[in-house]
Amino acid sequence: MTPLDELLLFSGLTLVLLLLLGRFSYAGKIATVFYAGQLLFLAKMADRIADGAIMTFSLQAELFGQQMSWRYDALSWFFAVITLGAGLLSSWYASGEWGERFRRRGGNLWLLHVALAANVFSMLILLGSGDLLALFIGWELVSWASFLLMTVAGGRAIQAAMRYITYAMSGAMAILAGIVLLWSHAGGLQYGQIIDVMPQLSQAQVWLLVALFGAGFAVKMGLLPFHLWQAAAYAETPGPGAAFFGAISARMGLYAIILVLVQLIGLARLSELTIPFTFLDMRDFWAWIAVLTIILPTYTALRQTDARYLLAWHGIGQGGYMLLGVVLGDALGSAGGLLHVFNYATNQAVLFFAVFAVMFRTGTADLNKLGGLITRMPISFFAMLVGIIGLAGLPPMNGFVSKWFVYRSLMVEGEPLLFLGAIIGTLGTILSVYKLIHNTFLGQLRVEHVEVREAPWSMVVPMIILMLLIFATGVAPGLVLDWVALVQSAVGLPVVENTLGGIELASGSLDMLWVVGVLFAGFGIGALLFYSGGRTRQVHQLDNYAGGHFLTAETRYHYSDNFYAGLMHLIRPWYRGSFVWLESTLGSLLGIAASLMQRLYGALHPSIYLLVTVVVTLTWVLL
Amino acid sequence: MNTIVLTVVLPLLAAFVVPVLCRVSPLLGRLLGPLTLAYAILLTLQVWLGMEGKPFSIALGGFQPPLGINFYVDRLSLLFTFLTLVTSLLLWPWRNETEPRQYALTLLLAASACGLALSGDLFNIYVFYELISVASFGLAAGAAFAASLRYLILSGLGSVLVLCGIAIVYLQTGTLNLAQLSQLAPETLNTPLGMSAFALILLGVGVKGELFPVNSWVPEVYAAASSRVSGLLAGLVSKLAVLVIVRLLVLLFQQESALQLMLILGLLGAISGELAAWRAKDMNRMLAFSSIGQLGVIFIAFSIPGETGLFAGLALSLHHLLVKPALFLLAERWRGSLMGLRGAGLASPVAGGMFVLLALSLVGMPPLPGFWAKFLLFTGLAAQQSVIYQVALGVVLLSIVIEANYLFRVVMNLFQPAGDNSVAVITDHGWLNLGTTFLLSALLIAGMLFMGPLGAWLEGVAIQAADPVLYFDTVFPVSAIH
Repeated sequence: MTPLDELLLFSGLTLVLLLLLGRFSYAGKIATVFYAGQLLFLAKMADRIADGAIMTFSLQAELFGQQMSWRYDALSWFFAVITLGAGLLSSWYASGEWGERFRRRGGNLWLLHVALAANVFSMLILLGSGDLLALFIGWELVSWASFLLMTVAGGRAIQAAMRYITYAMSGAMAILAGIVLLWSHAGGLQYGQIIDVMPQLSQAQVWLLVALFGAGFAVKMGLLPFHLWQAAAYAETPGPGAAFFGAISARMGLYAIILVLVQLIGLARLSELTIPFTFLDMRDFWAWIAVLTIILPTYTALRQTDARYLLAWHGIGQGGYMLLGVVLGDALGSAGGLLHVFNYATNQAVLFFAVFAVMFRTGTADLNKLGGLITRMPISFFAMLVGIIGLAGLPPMNGFVSKWFVYRSLMVEGEPLLFLGAIIGTLGTILSVYKLIHNTFLGQLRVEHVEVREAPWSMVVPMIILMLLIFATGVAPGLVLDWVALVQSAVGLPVVENTLGGIELASGSLDMLWVVGVLFAGFGIGALLFYSGGRTRQVHQLDNYAGGHFLTAETRYHYSDNFYAGLMHLIRPWYRGSFVWLESTLGSLLGIAASLMQRLYGALHPSIYLLVTVVVTLTWVLL
Repeated sequence: MNTIVLTVVLPLLAAFVVPVLCRVSPLLGRLLGPLTLAYAILLTLQVWLGMEGKPFSIALGGFQPPLGINFYVDRLSLLFTFLTLVTSLLLWPWRNETEPRQYALTLLLAASACGLALSGDLFNIYVFYELISVASFGLAAGAAFAASLRYLILSGLGSVLVLCGIAIVYLQTGTLNLAQLSQLAPETLNTPLGMSAFALILLGVGVKGELFPVNSWVPEVYAAASSRVSGLLAGLVSKLAVLVIVRLLVLLFQQESALQLMLILGLLGAISGELAAWRAKDMNRMLAFSSIGQLGVIFIAFSIPGETGLFAGLALSLHHLLVKPALFLLAERWRGSLMGLRGAGLASPVAGGMFVLLALSLVGMPPLPGFWAKFLLFTGLAAQQSVIYQVALGVVLLSIVIEANYLFRVVMNLFQPAGDNSVAVITDHGWLNLGTTFLLSALLIAGMLFMGPLGAWLEGVAIQAADPVLYFDTVFPVSAIH
């Protein structure tokens, strides 16, 4: 038994166990323990992965002359850790009161557990793919497992899931087309064979391959213009599922992009592919896709009034930073992109946990129906605060480090326009996460929420763990950067030189230990000034004023509707819904074609077809 | 070895005895058909084990070909004989208590289908093809009058076309023996006239093979006929029509233009069928249109030259033969509007679960068998240089996306809690339908588990069938000529 055998078998066992026991009330606890077990098996590999060893899977299949194998290198390991961490904390979150309430309200908790386990299992399989056929199988398994998890809630979630599976199938078919084209050139689907055949392919062939694989993987990532499915599909999934999806699911697309576009085809080759009628090459194109993916979904998030949708739209945008970093391809940028996968996963998970904790207590995630919950749910507030600082990329949380890397790389590499785009995206992030925390926790408490209590411990503990993780890896990013460096060397990217607090560079170092130290020193001085001044007075939460008017307990007011009215007034004309229009147009065209076909088959005298076809064919043949 | 002839003779005999026997003893009458079919299956297996993979020819009545008629027995024809008998047995009209006609017609269909699979000359193929037609008219006649009339007319016209095609072949070569034709074809049929013969036969046989555009009987008949009959027509009869065309392509018409003609019609069938299915409002029509689409894909597969195409086409055919009848059986109780099916899967989870499994395989989710069949098709298409094959690759991929969309729309509907205003959901599928579907699903899973040996074996079948020289040498052994 190799360590990978143990991991995958144990993961499969978890799935089987939940299939059998998922109905019982202790299923969530079992699942949590088993995810922890999987994480331990993964940890057992850590030393050997760190030495650059590749873990192999004993089972290999050969079908129709295609060898299929599975193995873990540093890249797989890095993504697998995040996957299992997300699975562990999500199932922990669901294991107590949340799951009990979900079941009492008619939710199918068995399906939720099973689907989550299926997602984790299939992702672990995908991450281990040792050739393109195995990659495709893993890819499809992940797609269908995600679909299963998305359908758990029923109702609107079903529509979102159907939209997802249509996008996902289209993407998968593009990938399959790419795979069979590669097969026809290389005669096999082993990574080695493909790297060997790459130099012999013409630019047009590589162009086609990049387009097919890129489009397929972009669907999962939610990159523009294939992003429309993601927000609703993730947001409508019940709490733990949404957190899991938000944290890691879409990153499978990034894994595949790194594997195929960076490792097999190579970034250098992408630079050689020029795009006709422009001055861009394929790599610039990808960078711009990444930047557009940062900007547009982020500003769509700004307009959301449902906290879950707001977060899910951000998830799409944050994927752009990761891709941007990876496409930049230098040591700093790619380290930033990879680091952001981890950092963002922690941020998004804690944010979804906080939002669903609020939903658990108040029954709504509508940002116009909340407010002032800080006094009632202080830990959830703090969790959300930590999460949004990380998501917006501000110190001292980990999101700052990864974004700083990407910005720094953009500046060093001389990409001012991309830099500007990334900054615009970050501005939108800061604005909308402030809206999130303001509308939920700040301001005046609503009358109906006076009785609200903090979420139960089973939900709070995962949040606390994540908060600690976000802060710790923010102060000491070197903990994760060690792994990022291993991934970089496994993929063949330039490797970043890191310290515990960040990086040492000739062009400017980053040491978070110092940054955080200075920051807290500043806080300390501020606190000293504040408390030593003596001119402070405690006021009640309801005792404040807005717009020059005193608002007392009798007139409750919380400004939430039409947030950022002034800004929206300026940028509203930019929201054109072009992608939605494009999608619905495609749908309509398909509908028209389908109606025509039905008409064709419904003809009253079908013999006429026979006659016409015979005449046409005979003419074609005889002439 | 000659016992293989009995697979045609016995069911044929039984078909004529059954009506009489039913009058004498209803119990014997009910048992005769299944027993005959079971015995014929045993015979086929016996021959299969006895032939050790080597094809042989049987001169009927002792008259040597090309003057006499012969049966050509290779792995492909045995495979189809076996599948015919097994499918007929699985879809046997067990519940038909009063009417011996159904027994007789099913037996007639089985006998003529076996004959078609085994026949070594064009004339016999035509005769058996007509017999299949007669049997299937009778079976479909239970359906709505307009639908079966439509089928009758189109099928009749198709037969005329086939006959015209055969006449041209005879005119050009002076023989209808396939082995002899395979030798004469390169000189005599490689002409526009030869091609027109192929076009006529293709379109004529295509009526039953659900080939675009002579397939517009399909949705109407399947919507009205019983699931059993739909399963037989979609699963079995269509594949036999394809088999005829495949034999002709390998032996007679190895021209590129023949393959291209079939490819184009297959393409149009695939995309039009899937699109129409996307819009279909009731279960049976949806399955019917999707069947048109899948047959289109099968035609595309067989139009890939060489054994690659045969291999892919056979894999797709087998998969479709397994999945489609099962889906039709499930649809028996889920007739009518798709919207009315809300909650049906929750009410009968076993049936719903099997529907999901079959749909996933149809869509080609790895590692289910449907994926491997399609994978063979895609690699075969990608290996071709001609642009039209690349186009076909794109179209098939697109059709899979459409297929996934409508099949899973149905699945979602099945597993949604039924609203208050929806009609009462039928939970009872009948143990017979459910059992048969379960058996077919189990076969599908078994196919997935033993994909390696299964694939290797099927490749052997394809390689043997793709060899015209072997065909000639088997029917006219060198020793006999000297």
